[in-house]
Amino acid sequence: MNDAMGKNDKPVGAVAVVGAGIGGMQASLDLANAGFKVYLIEKASAIGGRMAQLDKTFPTNDCAMCIISPKLVEVGRHPNIELLTHTEVVGRHGSVGHFTLDLQTRAKYVDPAVCTGCGDCAQVCPVELPNEFDQGLSTRKAISKRFPQAIPNAFSIDKRGTAPCKVACPAHVSAQGYVALTAKGKFAEALMLIKKDNPLPAVCGRVCHHPCETNCTRARVDSPVAVKDIKRFLADLEPTLDIKPPEPENDFGEKVAIVGSGPGGLTAAYYLALKGYKPVIFEAAEKAGGMLRTGIPDYRLPPEVLDAEIEFIKSAGVVLKTDSPIGKDVTLEKLRAEGFKAFFLGTGAHADRGLGLPGEELGGVLSGVEFLRDCNLKKPVTIGKNVVVIGGGNVAMDAARTSLRMGSDVTVLYRRSREQMPALPEEVQEAEDESIKFEFLAAPVEILGDGKMRRLRCQRMELGEPDASGRRRPVPVDDFFEVECDTLIAAIGQFPDLEFLPEETREKLAARGKVVTDPVTFATAVPGVFSGGDAVLGPSTVIEAIAQGKEAAESIHRYLRGEDLRKGRELAETAIVPEEKIEQAERIRQKHREAADRVKDFGEVALGFDENDIIAEAERCLSCGICSECYLCVETCKAGAIIHTDQPGQRSIQAGAVILAPGFETFDPEMRGEFGYGRYPNVVTSLEFERILSASGPTQGHVQRPSDAKEPRRIAWIQCVGSRDASCGNDYCSSVCCMYAAKEAVIAAEHLGEVDTTVYYMELRAFGKGFDDYINRAKASGVKFVRSMASRVDEDPITHDLMIRHMDESGEALTETYDMVVLSVGLCISDQVRAMAQNLGVELTGHGFAKTDSLEPLRTSVPGIYVAGAFAGPKDIPETVAEASAAAAGASGELSASRGALVADKQKPPEINVKGEPVRVGVFVCHCGINIGSVIDVPAVMEYAKTLPGVEHAEQYLYTCSQDSQEKIKELIKKNNLNRIVVASCSPRTHEPLFQQTLSEAGLNPFLFDMANIRDQCSWVNRGDHDRATAKARDLVRMAVGNVTLCEPLSEIAVPVNPKCLVIGGGLAGMTAALELSRQGFESVLVERTDKLGGNLRHIRRTTDGRDVGRYMNTLIEQVRSDPKITALTNALIVDFTGYVGNYETEIMVGAITSRKIKHGALILATGGGELSTDEYLYGQDDRVITQSAFERLLADEPDKAAKVKSVAMIQCVGSRDENRSYCSRVCCNQALKNALRLKEMDPKARVVILYRDIRSYGLNELYYQQARKAGVIFVRYDPDVAKPEVTGGDRLGVEAFDPVLQKKIRIHPDLLVLSTATIPEENEELGSQLKLARNDDGFFIEAHQKLRPVDFSSDGLFLAGLAHGPKSIPETISQARAAVARAATILAFKEKRLNGVVSEVDPDKCAVCLTCVRACPYDVPYIKDGAAVIDPAMCHGCGICVSECPGKAITLAHFTDEQIVAKCRNLLERNAV
Amino acid sequence: MIVEYSYYPGCSLQGSSSEYDHSIRAVCRALDIGMTELDGWTCCGASSAHALDESLSILLAAHNIDLADKVGKDILVGCAACFSRLKFAEKAMRDEPRRWAESKTAPSVGIVHIHDLLCEDRIMDKIKKLAVKPLKGLNVIPYYGCLTARPPKVVDAPNPENPQALDEIVKALGANLTPWSRKTDCCGGSFAISKTEIVRKLSGDLFEAAKHAGGDCIVTDCPMCQANLDSRQKEIAEERGIPLDMPVFFITELIALAFGIDNTQKWLAKHLVDPRPLLAQKDAI
Repeated sequence: MNDAMGKNDKPVGAVAVVGAGIGGMQASLDLANAGFKVYLIEKASAIGGRMAQLDKTFPTNDCAMCIISPKLVEVGRHPNIELLTHTEVVGRHGSVGHFTLDLQTRAKYVDPAVCTGCGDCAQVCPVELPNEFDQGLSTRKAISKRFPQAIPNAFSIDKRGTAPCKVACPAHVSAQGYVALTAKGKFAEALMLIKKDNPLPAVCGRVCHHPCETNCTRARVDSPVAVKDIKRFLADLEPTLDIKPPEPENDFGEKVAIVGSGPGGLTAAYYLALKGYKPVIFEAAEKAGGMLRTGIPDYRLPPEVLDAEIEFIKSAGVVLKTDSPIGKDVTLEKLRAEGFKAFFLGTGAHADRGLGLPGEELGGVLSGVEFLRDCNLKKPVTIGKNVVVIGGGNVAMDAARTSLRMGSDVTVLYRRSREQMPALPEEVQEAEDESIKFEFLAAPVEILGDGKMRRLRCQRMELGEPDASGRRRPVPVDDFFEVECDTLIAAIGQFPDLEFLPEETREKLAARGKVVTDPVTFATAVPGVFSGGDAVLGPSTVIEAIAQGKEAAESIHRYLRGEDLRKGRELAETAIVPEEKIEQAERIRQKHREAADRVKDFGEVALGFDENDIIAEAERCLSCGICSECYLCVETCKAGAIIHTDQPGQRSIQAGAVILAPGFETFDPEMRGEFGYGRYPNVVTSLEFERILSASGPTQGHVQRPSDAKEPRRIAWIQCVGSRDASCGNDYCSSVCCMYAAKEAVIAAEHLGEVDTTVYYMELRAFGKGFDDYINRAKASGVKFVRSMASRVDEDPITHDLMIRHMDESGEALTETYDMVVLSVGLCISDQVRAMAQNLGVELTGHGFAKTDSLEPLRTSVPGIYVAGAFAGPKDIPETVAEASAAAAGASGELSASRGALVADKQKPPEINVKGEPVRVGVFVCHCGINIGSVIDVPAVMEYAKTLPGVEHAEQYLYTCSQDSQEKIKELIKKNNLNRIVVASCSPRTHEPLFQQTLSEAGLNPFLFDMANIRDQCSWVNRGDHDRATAKARDLVRMAVGNVTLCEPLSEIAVPVNPKCLVIGGGLAGMTAALELSRQGFESVLVERTDKLGGNLRHIRRTTDGRDVGRYMNTLIEQVRSDPKITALTNALIVDFTGYVGNYETEIMVGAITSRKIKHGALILATGGGELSTDEYLYGQDDRVITQSAFERLLADEPDKAAKVKSVAMIQCVGSRDENRSYCSRVCCNQALKNALRLKEMDPKARVVILYRDIRSYGLNELYYQQARKAGVIFVRYDPDVAKPEVTGGDRLGVEAFDPVLQKKIRIHPDLLVLSTATIPEENEELGSQLKLARNDDGFFIEAHQKLRPVDFSSDGLFLAGLAHGPKSIPETISQARAAVARAATILAFKEKRLNGVVSEVDPDKCAVCLTCVRACPYDVPYIKDGAAVIDPAMCHGCGICVSECPGKAITLAHFTDEQIVAKCRNLLERNAV
Repeated sequence: MIVEYSYYPGCSLQGSSSEYDHSIRAVCRALDIGMTELDGWTCCGASSAHALDESLSILLAAHNIDLADKVGKDILVGCAACFSRLKFAEKAMRDEPRRWAESKTAPSVGIVHIHDLLCEDRIMDKIKKLAVKPLKGLNVIPYYGCLTARPPKVVDAPNPENPQALDEIVKALGANLTPWSRKTDCCGGSFAISKTEIVRKLSGDLFEAAKHAGGDCIVTDCPMCQANLDSRQKEIAEERGIPLDMPVFFITELIALAFGIDNTQKWLAKHLVDPRPLLAQKDAI
């Protein structure tokens, strides 16, 4: 990794963010908004991660999708974020400032730049798969988008190599494809898919040796899919399907001669015709079909089936000449002279090998091929009573069965064993069923007779060593026998008869009796002459001949066009088989005529399938390749976005720093088999239950049991499945499950009304802000919380109800019955993420989390690589978001010298002045593929738009959002001087910015635009009623036109930004923020109320992982003091605060007399908090009762005194979670564990008893809990509702508590009683009102949004960190402080801030100073000045609430004026008026 | 022979469960599985030794492994309790060969339970081929008990909460596999004689669950389970006031039935709950 980069090289101004969940997205946005280029790398097809899968989020019950989807859109359209989906990081080179990452991108098979996300392809795709986004509870198609709101809004195809059936087929027919289409009842499409590669499906459906079935994955489980029979079924349907050969691609006109009309010749001719040539087939016999006609008996291939297939081929433009032998008289040279430009020799192998037996002179010996030919061509043939057929191939079977049908007794003699027979097993079986006798391991040696053949003398054989074919060679043994025989049919092999060729041609073309060709191109040594099938192979199979005929046609085309014959044709195909468990399902067999009946005539033996059976059989297909390559999507996609030949890509990117936010996977509950997941249908995981609750989920939010779709009445949650469990290696706490289970129970009750919900838990860890309140509300609403680890789930096999076995606290075993059980699965790190970390050289803990340090919480072992979210330990959304921002700060801090270096700044053309110009509206109506066009009469809407007042031009596009449409719109704007634009298509939510961008590029102000949503709000919801949908679309367009006519150009407001930041509070959060600001290149003023920096750190000695906090604090203070970019003011108080984002002014009293005014662009509030003082438990009355931090100081600062402490009791939750403070103080459990372990370390014999309510050692802190138990710390639970511990003073300190496990009171006499008192905020009420910042009931400041904006205030430019926000640990405080800096940097990094033009404006003449707007504004923007309300446009969010509330109509919102709204309404009502 | 084993019948199969022994031998013969009874085998110590003395409990079983080690063939075991003890001893011998193994080296042989052997792919294929009299219509409850699945780290059970071996064999024999969720619950085990009230409670719960699931017989591969379930039905029926008449088969008996092996009926006659009326009703005999 040691790079030769010079130290003075500027770092690369780009950051690679790996993982596009909520963490990765937040980090990307913070970086992109602070002047860095971002590569956002995501292995899935869309961004959003786990959060997008959730239903609601705790504790606010916000809809996860509703709050995440604006972020998705923002990431998707950010000019500085390059989104790389389907991509994984496989390697790293270089070091901080100059990383090179190697990326691997999976093939998408859809061009995302062309795909419009319309979804027509998924409608036609026949392959269904479990939908991963719905955790497999619903299905999706092989071509899919991860979820409806997915960004990028593009489809992609899943492939897993090529299916083995397609690979095995010599002609590479898409077998999986037509099977999939058959399963969906798309028979015509299926048949045409076959004919794309094989023009003889009716033939192959009867006689193919079906290597597709031999290689079918199902063959390994039960029996292969009946691919051949499906093909026959489809081909037999042809007369009812009205299908025709496709139109020729071209019209080249050159004539090509095909010699022979067997499968090879027919195929070559067909595909040549489709390519635009004029093929002429010359057939020597009187009927076409070659060996298909002469070699295969009618009972296997009825002649009319072959005739129909040949007719279809002829209908493509193939000329067929029978009775036209080529060779001696009509030579190839002669044909060349007649204008034939190329030749295909498909003359087959029609010559028989002789037996050469003594006694053949007696007569009665027939050649198998000749015998069959004569029979098939209905020539007179006579055979005797006792027929013996020699051979074990299909010709032997055909000859035998034909003889049988002519009334003879038949014996087949084969020199090898049955297993070695080359004939198809089903042929042999049918022959046996028809009572043909077989003599295996026997060879004829002599024909015996008396002038006529009477008997055949045979010799027994045995199997010896393998021969060249790999089969064991038959070796004669000394054992003879005789069989009755008057006709002997020899079917021991055929060979091509090339006698028809003139000798010199034969010499050039052939060797050892066969035509010699190139194995890929099928070109012979003679230019322009190609060959294939049995003529080349010797006796082979129909499908081989078809394959070679098809390849030869391609070669002839290339030859005639002068192209390279070989290029791109030697494709290696890979077939991968599915890994998932396969349910057994026996093959459905087609019916056959009874043996006794069928031997009486030559009617067909196999009777085919009916429609229901064929669909059921096709559904057995395992979709090995996933995508079946049926190509329906290609035909359906009007945009032409599908690329089935897409290849995976490699790429390297340069980045100065890296942020890893790959997220978690959920624990596989099958590892805890006792809960029955995977066996009992009604046991689901918590993530599955999220999908069940979700309105966009598999049941549209209707909660139902998987087994019977009934609404559950009793639901139980089992906590800690795969968490706090050493048996599965996950001994940490997953942090989020207690809360999500409570939330799921609450939401389930909201959905279901009457439902019993019970959560089985070990410890309720509601440690976050507002969490305990949420739990209390959940309890009040009826959710039962049972403190008991369920041991087992049993199922009633009839009803699928579930019984949870558990034990109550008294030790009694109980069983409760539920309709559904939800397993609260833990968070783990996947193997892929571990592998990625290894590729990057990032060190991991044994659990797979990134190794970090509590004082550098987001730095990995590799400098310049940061981590955020669950990869650094299990955590919920707000902490992930804060960490993401902090990681963004970390990464950008490394690169501050290159801020802005790689950022895109698109130059716009000068804006056209439209003031005073007459309105000239352009209307663009979208078909959206068939999304709109199939329901609404788009041309009619377009024509209608032209008639509307002000409309200058109207146009329709297949996809208005496609890139070429944008160019056309720009041209039309210029050409027709359009100055208002309406697009009637889909949702402005996703597409408005795109069209506005187009307007800008054409020189039009982007606000001169409106959209009519005729898709989501019209065609999608009115599918069945075309006329009324079209009428509604007209209304919507008319409204938009009415509105746009009144639109005025708006300009963005640019305000200058002061790049300085004010930080209030000189504790850990404040100092960390100031130092981080400096690292980012920003000046700051750090204001501390007391005379010392350090804040609450002064009371802490060590972190849980043993780092020296005192030393760290001193280092921080020293750094702050010596940093030239930081002005630290102690004894300083805020006395006044004014201004708006980018331009604040704050007055500060320093000491008692000096006042300073500071101008700054942003503010970080970090006023901190501290330990509550209490009067409970004799605190303050008895010296032996101290607080937890006093105990920590004692352990660290007075070791001699501490050594005398032999026994300690601790009481948790003193002043927390009670009537005064309902919240959990979050840090006390961990602090108690830390100090208990410290004491045990100093004196292992010291006795420590911790009286607790729930030990909330969340996340990886759980390991300290474990360690403390191992060290002998005693944990006694108390329930304040039953009895609080009682403390008595006197000579011996006494602590008494009720132990619920022992079910009795215990009494101890510790040397010291340590109280874990609550964490409370510093006094901040006055500051809060000065800054107009809201605090909650407990005095903690309220962030802008509890989930997604954890360090922002709702006022722009003001940020929050540390204990002022809520109780938190040192690493969490450090992360938050840095996060606040990252957020502030998005403002401070730019000279000016551009503000949206959509803001409210007050007309002071109308204002009555009623203060309604002041009260209504959620952002506290309006204020009163000079007798009227003032709304600072720089602060206004444009929400419009003040406008609607203002009783005097004194406020207007730009772009949403009353006139515009009225115009819309008037236009809407116009239709009714007419 | 496709494979050769040292066979360890154990005490139960010599006496109370001799039909298990006979059916194992017959089925293995039919499947071309070679087995030679371990010469000089002794009791494995099951049911009492492990509760009394750890070293005795290991050494009793280890002696038998030492014997097999000399022959060099893996030990095939039918009894679940013997299997469990032998596995414990095997683990101990591997962990501390100097302490437990006669040779002072880790044993060269493994311990194979009959149901694991029968579930091997090639043998399963053969079972399917040889099952000429498929047990159509017989609703079979698979019951494994405790000892072949637990503790998973000792007995190397791949799926201790939901073992599959009997399930797979039952399906291969053409019977209706009847799912339930108590396949690894305890029947009362070695309290068979000493604390019958425990057996009646636990086995009674099993029967109620089996009947509810729609089973008409139980199949197991543990002689202790078979004895408990087969012998206590009358008492359970009286105590609970429910009709109870549910045959309890050894898995090898069912295989033998499907194979059409002659002696099967002789073995079935030994059962306390006579399975023959049920089999007759289902046309299985």
